[in-house]
Amino acid sequence: MTISDTWRRLPRPVRIVLARLPLLVPQMLGVIFVTFILVRLLPGDPVLLMLGNMATEESIATLREQLGLDGSIWSQFLVYFQNLIQGDLGVSMFTSNPVIKDLLERAPATLELITYAMILTLLIAVPTAIYATVRPKSIVDRASRVYGLAAGSLPDFWVALLLIFIFFTTFGIAVAPFGRIDPMLSAPEFVTGFYTIDALLAGDLQAFLSAGSRLLLPVITLAIVNSGALMKMTSSAFGAIWHSDFIQHQRASGVPERKIIRAALRNSLPPLITLTGFLFGFLLGAAVLVETIFSWGGLGQYAVMAVINSDYPALQGFVLVAAAFILIVYLIVDVLYEIVDPRIEV
Amino acid sequence: MSATMTPAETPNTDLSATSDLGRFLVRRPAALIGLTLLVLQILAIIFAPALSTHDPMQANALRSLQPPSWENWLGTDVSGMDIYSRIVYATRINLLISVTAVGAAFIVGVPIGLLVGYYRGWASNLTMRVFDFVQSFPVFVMGMALVSVMGQEIWNVAIALGVLFTPVFARLIRAETLSLRERSFIAAAKCSGATDIKILFRHILPNALSPAIVQISISIGMAILLTAGLSFIGAGVRMPTPEWGLMVSTGSQQMILGIWWVSFFPGLAIILSVLSFALIADAARDFIDPRRAR
Repeated sequence: MTISDTWRRLPRPVRIVLARLPLLVPQMLGVIFVTFILVRLLPGDPVLLMLGNMATEESIATLREQLGLDGSIWSQFLVYFQNLIQGDLGVSMFTSNPVIKDLLERAPATLELITYAMILTLLIAVPTAIYATVRPKSIVDRASRVYGLAAGSLPDFWVALLLIFIFFTTFGIAVAPFGRIDPMLSAPEFVTGFYTIDALLAGDLQAFLSAGSRLLLPVITLAIVNSGALMKMTSSAFGAIWHSDFIQHQRASGVPERKIIRAALRNSLPPLITLTGFLFGFLLGAAVLVETIFSWGGLGQYAVMAVINSDYPALQGFVLVAAAFILIVYLIVDVLYEIVDPRIEV
Repeated sequence: MSATMTPAETPNTDLSATSDLGRFLVRRPAALIGLTLLVLQILAIIFAPALSTHDPMQANALRSLQPPSWENWLGTDVSGMDIYSRIVYATRINLLISVTAVGAAFIVGVPIGLLVGYYRGWASNLTMRVFDFVQSFPVFVMGMALVSVMGQEIWNVAIALGVLFTPVFARLIRAETLSLRERSFIAAAKCSGATDIKILFRHILPNALSPAIVQISISIGMAILLTAGLSFIGAGVRMPTPEWGLMVSTGSQQMILGIWWVSFFPGLAIILSVLSFALIADAARDFIDPRRAR
């Protein structure tokens, strides 16, 4: 009685968060375990790969022991887990750096890329979808329908190559598609890890312009490709509300359109929030391809190198960090979803 | 009244459905384009040997990187293979993988979504957590990892993609079910003694299905795109098998040098293929649920 009373007296958002948080622990454990199993089952023996065909039995055994690859898979997992708790993700076989160091170095590059891509995608998709729904048969409506269908069909790696071909090779107006900043400039001092923000903080206009111009093509690539799907799903979610009875009733009662739109928007927030969460996770995956093409030096490119080189610790570290990141995004999505939809019981 | 509220109960003979579809298609040129593209792909799948001009896996060092010409309609790639013939043959691989993967995900995901949305309790919660968990890995990286683990064969690409798409369908159906189960027509059905099975499949499912149908288009598109992406970075279908993404990849080095046709045309094939499914599914949504067609 007392516990449930106290529980009920807590503010609703607090209850939602408290109900969700404990689920993170088993989820994280699951992620750690599956990551370990998945990556450890990858074909290709890293020891043979590192030593080459000329390796002796002895040197293979020694290296295997050094890398902790000699025991059973369970003992390997226990060692991995113990190290993980101490923040030790192992040493990359390819870069010879601690994986955690590699990942931390590269994470800001990827985050900067997908954050800008996310903002641009939302800015294109949501207002267009709403305008198109409110003004059906308008030019915006027709154009957004065509675009929503066409953009979803574009392979991002192909769009990136095409943009490079058009704006760099043919017209020469884009900067070289290699890396985050002109190699002649030094990266701005680390504050947030976002080159654009750090350059502004340091007052280095040249670095800011260079970083910004390098971001243009990859960010545009991701936004072109992903805003179509988001636009389509936003108008699907918003449209369902817009044609619902309570909106019709508001209109019949003479409520100003601006107010009706706000009410409809408020009611289509739950699906919108879910879509945005999906988008974030999807962008992280899409970044793998786009980073590879633009030599971005972020997590995605690191992951591709790890797969190609059978770099177990690096791949494990990447998948783990990415999964943890997205688990947190989904946690936030779930919490926001329940907060904005008061009909859901906690 | 009952016709508008429960479409499933409207008697719909085959005859009237066919003529409805005919009239619908006439009013929707986009759907016609989609169907035409799909028919072209089916023709390419069946008649690939007759439609192609060269052996799709025949390298020819003397004709490396030739621009489009009468001899090679869409040019040749770096090893001198005919791009047009490879695009035609690749239709088989790309559609086989994508349709299999999405079909399996739909068949498994939809009933799970219904059950998880309708019944609340630890089992539903656990299922959703498992889905969170599958989806917590970036789709593309999970695909990469799964394919690498299972071996780079086309069936493994299809299985990996099927696993990745199942939660998407389940989530969409669950979200709809969660709000539908609170609606008064469900309460009415319950009061008139409908069993849970009947409520789920005759009352909730028809009303919950349209987002999942839209999702089929997006998913087949994503499946084709993911397959292509995996092959692009060297973690999917391998040379010399003709596959669109792989073909884009073989030309990616030359693109920056101005040799555009090697990557350009296979990319175009990907777009048209994905587009056909998008157009058809989009029309299907409006056909199934005319309220949204306005």
